[in-house]
Amino acid sequence: MERTPGDDHTSEPGQPGEGQVFLGAGAAPSVNPRTDQIAHLYQLGDPTLFDLDLDSLLDELLVRVQGILAVDTVAVLLIDERRGVLEACAAKGLEEEVEQGVVIPIRRGFAGRVAAERRPIFIADVNHADIVNPILREKGIRSLLGVPLVVEAGVIGVLHVGTVTPREFTEEDASVLQLAATRAAPAIERVRLFQALEHEHRGAVALQRSLLPERLPELVGMRLAARYLPARDEVGGDWYDLIELGRGRLGIAIGDVVGHGVRAAALMGHLRTGLRAYALDGLSPGAVLERLDRLLQSNRKGGMATAAYGVFDPESGELVLASAGHPPPLILPREGEPFFLERGGSPPLGTMPYAGFPEQSVMLPGEDIVVLYTDGLVEVRGEALEQGLERLVEAVRHADSPDAVCDRALESLVAPGGGGDDLAIVATQSASISERLSMRLPADPTVLADVRLMLRRWLHHLGAGGDDIGAIMLACGEACANAIEHAYSPAIAAFELSGDARGDVVTLAVRDSGKWRSPRGEHRGRGLTIMEATMDDVEVKPTADGTEVVMRRRLRGAE
Amino acid sequence: MKLADVRAQMSGGILVVSIEGEIDMSNARELGSAIARRLTNEALGAVLDLSNVSYIDSAGIHVVFDLRERLKTRGQALRLVVPAGSPISSMVELVDLPRAVGVVETADEALAAIAAAVPQPNPSHGH
Repeated sequence: MERTPGDDHTSEPGQPGEGQVFLGAGAAPSVNPRTDQIAHLYQLGDPTLFDLDLDSLLDELLVRVQGILAVDTVAVLLIDERRGVLEACAAKGLEEEVEQGVVIPIRRGFAGRVAAERRPIFIADVNHADIVNPILREKGIRSLLGVPLVVEAGVIGVLHVGTVTPREFTEEDASVLQLAATRAAPAIERVRLFQALEHEHRGAVALQRSLLPERLPELVGMRLAARYLPARDEVGGDWYDLIELGRGRLGIAIGDVVGHGVRAAALMGHLRTGLRAYALDGLSPGAVLERLDRLLQSNRKGGMATAAYGVFDPESGELVLASAGHPPPLILPREGEPFFLERGGSPPLGTMPYAGFPEQSVMLPGEDIVVLYTDGLVEVRGEALEQGLERLVEAVRHADSPDAVCDRALESLVAPGGGGDDLAIVATQSASISERLSMRLPADPTVLADVRLMLRRWLHHLGAGGDDIGAIMLACGEACANAIEHAYSPAIAAFELSGDARGDVVTLAVRDSGKWRSPRGEHRGRGLTIMEATMDDVEVKPTADGTEVVMRRRLRGAE
Repeated sequence: MKLADVRAQMSGGILVVSIEGEIDMSNARELGSAIARRLTNEALGAVLDLSNVSYIDSAGIHVVFDLRERLKTRGQALRLVVPAGSPISSMVELVDLPRAVGVVETADEALAAIAAAVPQPNPSHGH
């Protein structure tokens, strides 16, 4: 590069340019008060000194350099690879540079050239040099000396000092500055790397959190619990989901994307959404997993996951479940020994074209608990899976609620502070059905679906046939709708529904605290007509504070 | 949880609305307006497909009668699809819907019935 006077007043230390004289090694060293201070510079590389905090590391660097070289300004600019620029990260006497977030293109200006040419550069007079950063001029800086911050992989930034009075920086100044840079650079690199990882980790954890259900659905007659535990220091791809499928049916899903980090968490979100969408379309568990498999195989980046999906119908007590290479679901019957649903030997998702996921079905009378979990709960390196499964059974054997199952499993099977793998566990239990039905409900139309659900279960339990169930549901629905309409103040009003069976006669009573209103309008009288047509007898009785409708029907059974 | 889903499409100038799920006092009114919104003056009529409805109460029946009135005043036909053996068949019989509104087994049947009831423009006529 050709230098012309007055154009580019820069030079390498040790190669004095026009008007620049380095005193060099031959200059009288005198008694050097710097010796001790320079020794301090070595500490800049001490990995224990500036644990995980870039700001305090840089601050320490600047204070020491400023003290040793007696300069007015010190600044550190670090390369932002993504943007391809040098960014001011810390400064003394040039704080504005950092505050304003000054960025300098690599290769341009003073700092840009130090970085691009990977050598110390000295500017004797800023006024005659190619300076990109206006702040240097505004601050009245006259002389500058900069050195690159170099690590094994290359330049990571620039350290420069400046004075407001013209100064001839010596070769020794340059050596001291380079020493500081050499000691500090690896520490800076280490801290930045750690921060980037931590940032990624935080991002992935936040991503994963956002992909798990915020709260569980509330389903009448069902108790649900779930837990997710992140791995100690990595982000995993475990998920669970509980999906309301209508008519009280519940979709129970669990899955585990193979791998860790942001990609696994993102793929998990992809699969969780896919599973939920297929489930809401009413597909059976085997069909849901087949489509999920296809969805995963359409992903160009590939991926692999295990998953299990079951549909529980509280009315019949049937659980239909399919698994894609997932650890076997555990059933805790109210009476009898815990057992695992047999493993069908289906492959994980994303591993085999046209894989099939056979369904298995199991009848679960009231209060049985279904437990789905990921391998993080039961797998211990170097140990057979069976041992982990046994531990799980022993931990939860006497738990009597889904919450207790989750708590005991985590307490007994997970080391404090989390394990090496993330884990998810979800447990469900349908409430027991008593011989007598008794509910107190808010006078709100949205409870009607819950009423039908409980009624279906109760009638099913009594051995009622489809026609009986349909007829009684209709009558009861109309009676409850009337009670809701009669409520003079819906905000506080409630009504009661009770049901009894004596022999094969079912008696239902709906009691409200409102006034029975005569049906109005051409089509409004239908409710009572429907009740009378579907039940053997219907009585509408005024009570002290409202109305009671009592209806009876003899069960015809399955006809 | 939404009790019912609504799908609507035009078929040969006839609006076909399919409902899936349960219809009761809590969603009947909304379903009624969802159907009304999709019904244009140009439509020859409407088919209300209740094949996938597992429960309907008197509030839901009320919506069907309302719809019939609305269509009648505009000279549009209405057919209901309720296959035999549907969980709502007994309710449909109970409130005499087949007499008030034509009830058929399939959407195709309903479309054919409405198309047949509408006078077809005759191109050879008029000269």
